[in-house]
Parts: sequence; C-alpha cells; structure tokens
Amino acid sequence: MNAFLVRKEAVSAWIRRLAQKNTVYFPQRAGHSALRFKPVQEGSEVQFERYHPTLVPPGKKLAPANEVLFHYRQERPDDPEMEPAMDESPRILAGVRPCDLKGIHLMDRANHEGHGDPHYLLRRAHTTLIAHDCLQPCDDACFCDAAGSLHWRQNADVFLTPVADDLLLEIQSDRGKALVQGENFPVCPDVAAYKARAEKMRTKPFGRQFVTALTNLPGIIAKQWQSPVWEQHVERCFSCGTCNLVCPTCYCFDVHDDFEITNVHAGQRTRTWDGCMLPGFAEVAGGHNFRPQPAARQRHRVKRKFEYLTRHFAETSFCTGCGRCGRQCTANIDIFNIVNDLAKNAEVRP
Amino acid sequence: MITPGIDTNATFDKKLYLPRMARILEIKTMTAREKYFKVELPQPLGHRPGQFVMLSQLGIGEAPISISCGPRTDTILEMVIRNVGTLTQVLHGLQPGRKVGVRGPFGSGFNLADFRGRDVLFVAGGLGLAPLRSLIQPILAQPELYGSITLISGCRTPADELYREEVQTWSRLDNGQGKIRIIRLVDDTAHLTWDGEVGLVTEPLADLKMQPDNTVVALCGPPVMYKFVIMELNARGVPHNQIFVDLERRMKCGVGKCGHCQINHVTCCQEGPVFRFDLIENLPEAFR
Ligand SMILES: Cc1cc2nc3c(=O)[nH]c(=O)nc-3n(C[C@H](O)[C@H](O)[C@H](O)COP(=O)(O)OP(=O)(O)OC[C@H]3O[C@@H](n4cnc5c(N)ncnc54)[C@H](O)[C@@H]3O)c2cc1C
Ligand code: SF4
Ligand code: SF4
Ligand code: FES
Repeated sequence: MNAFLVRKEAVSAWIRRLAQKNTVYFPQRAGHSALRFKPVQEGSEVQFERYHPTLVPPGKKLAPANEVLFHYRQERPDDPEMEPAMDESPRILAGVRPCDLKGIHLMDRANHEGHGDPHYLLRRAHTTLIAHDCLQPCDDACFCDAAGSLHWRQNADVFLTPVADDLLLEIQSDRGKALVQGENFPVCPDVAAYKARAEKMRTKPFGRQFVTALTNLPGIIAKQWQSPVWEQHVERCFSCGTCNLVCPTCYCFDVHDDFEITNVHAGQRTRTWDGCMLPGFAEVAGGHNFRPQPAARQRHRVKRKFEYLTRHFAETSFCTGCGRCGRQCTANIDIFNIVNDLAKNAEVRP
Repeated sequence: MITPGIDTNATFDKKLYLPRMARILEIKTMTAREKYFKVELPQPLGHRPGQFVMLSQLGIGEAPISISCGPRTDTILEMVIRNVGTLTQVLHGLQPGRKVGVRGPFGSGFNLADFRGRDVLFVAGGLGLAPLRSLIQPILAQPELYGSITLISGCRTPADELYREEVQTWSRLDNGQGKIRIIRLVDDTAHLTWDGEVGLVTEPLADLKMQPDNTVVALCGPPVMYKFVIMELNARGVPHNQIFVDLERRMKCGVGKCGHCQINHVTCCQEGPVFRFDLIENLPEAFR
C-alpha cells in the first residue's frame, strides 16, 4: 500500500493540513509572477499547476543566506562562551520539482563528503520532501531532461505524478509514510498503468537538448581549456554573481564576524553565499588573483558543474538544467548555450 | 508534529566551525610587516609539517595561517603573521596573555618519509620560510637520516629576513663537513649591511652541487616564484615526483566546503596546500 490515487484538491487540502502542525514550504506567488518557497499559512494558495521555477531553489532552505555558524559571548576578556547555532526545526518542502530534487541530492553529497557540514546535515536530517513531476517544460530556459534531472525520483519522501484530475501519490520512505498516516487515500489499483499514462502525456522532446549525450560532456569540456567559447559567452558578463546565487548546486560561501551593536563582547560568526563569478573570489593577500578574467571565472563555473564535481562524485552533472541562471542573467548568458557550443566545437553531432 | 528520523547516515561534528581558544605566550617583531607568535593550545595539535590552522579573533574574522614549528608533543604552536588586512592587523596589535581562536590542523602537509635517505633542498621565498620551517626543524634535528641538506632562502631586502638568528645557527650546525648548506639571498641590499648573497632564489640553483636523481625539493614562496624555480629544477634534471610545492589560495573554511581554494578540480585546503609536483603540474590553474 505504497501508492494512492488522490484528487488534486484533496492533495492540496492534505498539504494545508500538514501545515497546521508543521512548517511546510510550498511555491507561492511573490509579487507579480515570481514564485518562492514560502511557509504555507491560513489562506495560502496550494496550487500544483502553473508551476514556474522559483527565483531561489528550495534547497537553499537547507543552507540559508547569512547563516550563523556560532554565537559567542565574551564578558570576561578571552574567556568566551561559544555556542554553535544548530537548526533542528523540522520542515517539509512540498512541490519540489525533479530538477530541484536532484539539486538537493547533489548538495547532500557535497555536504556529506569529508568533514560533513553539521549545519546543512542537521537541517537536512529534519527535512521531508514532497516532490511533484513535470509533464511539460517550464519555459524556453529549461533543459532538465538534457541535464539528466527530469526523471529524478531519489530522495523524495513522497512523489506526486499528475494523471488527469488525480495525483498518483507514491510513498518512497518511512517519513513519507508518516505523512499520510490516518489519511484514507484511495489506493492506486495499478501503479505501472497510471505511470505509463502520465508518461504518455509528457512533452517530447522535453525542453532543450544538447547536441551530444550528457555522459560525453565531462570529456568534451575537459579538452577545451582554451576554447574561444569561454570568451564569446562572457563578453557581456557583469561579473555580478547572480548565476551563482540562484543555482541549486552552488554552495560556496564567505565567512565573516559581527559583534552586537549593543554589546561588543558578544556577536556571531556568519557565512554568506559567495560566488565564483565575483572578481575577488580567488584573490589572495598581496592582490594576486588566480582567476582575474571573467572568462576564467565562467570556465571555472561551467567546469565545476559539468566536469569537476561530476567526476569527483562519479555521477550525473552538477547542473540540474533548471534554467535559473540563464533566466536571471541580465546579460542573457545561458550555461546551456555555453555547454552546447563547447560540444559543437568538439564536432560532436547528435 | 512530524519529527523525521535522521536517515542521511551522517556523522558530523557540531563544532566543526568552532575555534578552540589558545593563549598567546610570546610575540616578537621580526620585520616591519611580520611578527612571530607563540601560543599555547588547550590540547596538543599533533600536526604534520606543512599543515595550517584557521586562526581567528572573535568579532574580527578568521584566516589560514601556516604552522611554523616542527611536529611536537606539547601544546605549543608557532606562527609568523604578516600584517596585510583586517584580521592580521588586529593580531599584530595584541599583547601576550590574550587569546586567539584556532581550528585545525588542516591540509595534507609534508611526509618526512619522502625525504629520508635523500639529499634535501629547501627553496623559500619571503614568508615561505615560515611554513618550510616546520619541515626544516625536524630534518635538522636528525641530519643523519638525510643526505646533504640545502636551504636557499630569499627575501626582498635584509630588513625583510625572517628567523635571521635561527637561520644562522642552522649554518653553524655543519661544522665544516659540507653537509648542511644555507644560502641566504636578498633581491636588493637596499644600502643595508648584508652578509649573504644578492640575487633571486633561482640563481644559486644553476650551479648548486647536487645529484638530481637523489634530491627531494620542498618549495614555498609567492605565486610568481614557482614557475621560475621549477624551470631551473627542470634544467638540473630533478624528477617531478621529487618536488613538493606548498601553494596558497584564498581559504574560508579549511575543510573543503567553501569552494574558495579550488585549483581546477583539486581542493587546496584538503588535498594541499602541499602537493607533489608531478600530480598537479598539468592543472592549468596551479601555477598561474
Ligand atoms: C594555507 C595558507 C597558509 C598561510 N600561511 C600564512 C602565514 O603563515 N602567515 C601569514 O601571514 N599569512 C599566511 N597566509 C595568508 C593569510 O591567510 C592571508 O594573508 C589572510 O587572509 C590575511 O587575513 P586578513 O584578514 O588580515 O586580511 P584581509 O583583510 O582578508 O585582506 C588580505 C588581502 O586579501 C585580499 N582580500 C581581502 N578581502 C578581499 C575581497 N573581499 N576581495 C578581494 N580581495 C580581498 C586583499 O588582497 C588583501 O590585501 C596563508 C594562507 C594560506 C592559504
Ligand atoms: S548572472 Fe550573467 S552577468 Fe551575472 S555573473 Fe552570471 S553570467 Fe555574468
Ligand atoms: S547552472 Fe544554471 S541551469 Fe544549471 S543548475 Fe545552476 S542555475 Fe540551474
Ligand atoms: S578553504 Fe574552503 S574549500 Fe578549501
């Protein structure tokens, strides 16, 4: 009894019910058109359709901007009390799309590796994911299928697939099971058949496609250190770092200290999102910069997504194809086009 | 209320980013820009030569600083700090008795076994002598375990020389056997008295008496130095797997998370900052 067939409105009502006892984040309209993952409250819209990628990916709820690492208090000089700021508050992220589900999976990998990041891992351990499939691409910027994200199911506690007026609700973990405890959802009689039905509804081809298979890209990109493509695509770049900020798999940070305005003996060490596109990112004392040109920084960003981290974790690409960076870039610089041009340059044809 | 169980198989240290407080025992002015710091840690650090710590002052900030003393079993840590910015300026203003935050030790470091039984050549540029001292000390403490031991140490002017007295005691260790050679250079005497040589660290390399096949080199200095020293070592025929380099990158976490120290796909704070040259010579970002 791991899959149910539930009317769409009933699923929305269930999410609202969950939100009465839990913090549930769901994509909601902020301003005119943009969606943001915001806590579901009394009267919040819980609407699975008309989805458009949120400005900031849901995974950033696990590594928030301006995150306090620890507080300190130093009443007696040099005898500080320090307390790590650990966030163990349980939360549910609902309405997470496959690309962002994969994004969270990749962040799990990066944060587990070596010295595990305690702040991320603790939040993650208290986070439940309710994901929702996509049957048509969000817009022209999307290339999740090409980036290997469209069929991502791993890590979701509950996975929802639209089938006509219903949602196929699949339980994928014990946590997911706990969420439907006591709900008398109708059991799905034939999961495979309903999945096949949904699959038939899916737009094909789904969004933009690279000229070559995803698995060829690390090799192709590795060989193009000096490609003219790096310069071509960066001509208009302002080095603003927006592409880093909105990316579900950018996790670099800067660290700084503040003391409280009212008490110089107390304060906190905080980390803030940082981005490799920003000019000072690789600068060391004395002013030497290891990536002074925008093209060198862009190359690093692209290689991280499609070559370095992909190979390091022996996995699919670290770009999820969500399209956020291209959508948000004022200069219309799109990582899809950069990568596709690199592939074309390598004279790889479909 | 749903409280999901932890199913991420994660073991993690909640205090990963929390410094331990160390008391400053001694501060000595070395040059106009550099001060020597000796601090006492709450527990022994148990470091390897070439490792670094993240040093901090609460309310000001944190920065990577090399460990400048050889491995030791007590709780003492020695460092040399150049005054270049926010944190280092505050550290320069401190008095003994005050405390600083320490995290670490981090990084790969040097392995003494790589040097044992071989001729050893150290090449230090400026502040590069501070981290190399953590390797020089244990090697000079047991010179019988090594072949010839040579240090080429260069700085801008005589006023910039680090560890002057100590380096002079190192040259006296030799007793005329020719086993330990210390070559001190300045770019420019700047009209000061100087008892060493004048020139760049690459110059003595050209006619240094050495058996390249049996020589292991440890190299640390400013970014521009590496390329030229390695060109010279190439000319002398030193195999690349016998050269170790200590590289500097911007670092914010020290534990492979913040992304700042990345050299192509390599994380300098974890896999470095000491690298065997042949393993990174093909990384385009390593020596630019
Ligand atoms: C492994 C390792 C070992 C080191 N060992 C030593 C050592 O033994 N002794 C030592 O003195 N130093 C050492 N350093 C260098 C030291 O970490 C830096 O000098 C340190 O960051 C100085 O900190 P600060 O807060 O005083 O300087 P900051 O205030 O951070 O400024 C220092 C310099 O960093 C650059 N900078 C700072 N902020 C920015 C920004 N936002 N954008 C662009 N550039 C910026 C500037 O060039 C500036 O001159 C080491 C570095 C590494 C990576
Ligand atoms: S968002 Fe666009 S302009 Fe800004 S750094 Fe990224 S590529 Fe450059
Ligand atoms: S690089 Fe761009 S398209 Fe790829 S995951 Fe990041 S924001 Fe999305
Ligand atoms: S210093 Fe943060 S990743 Fe190396």
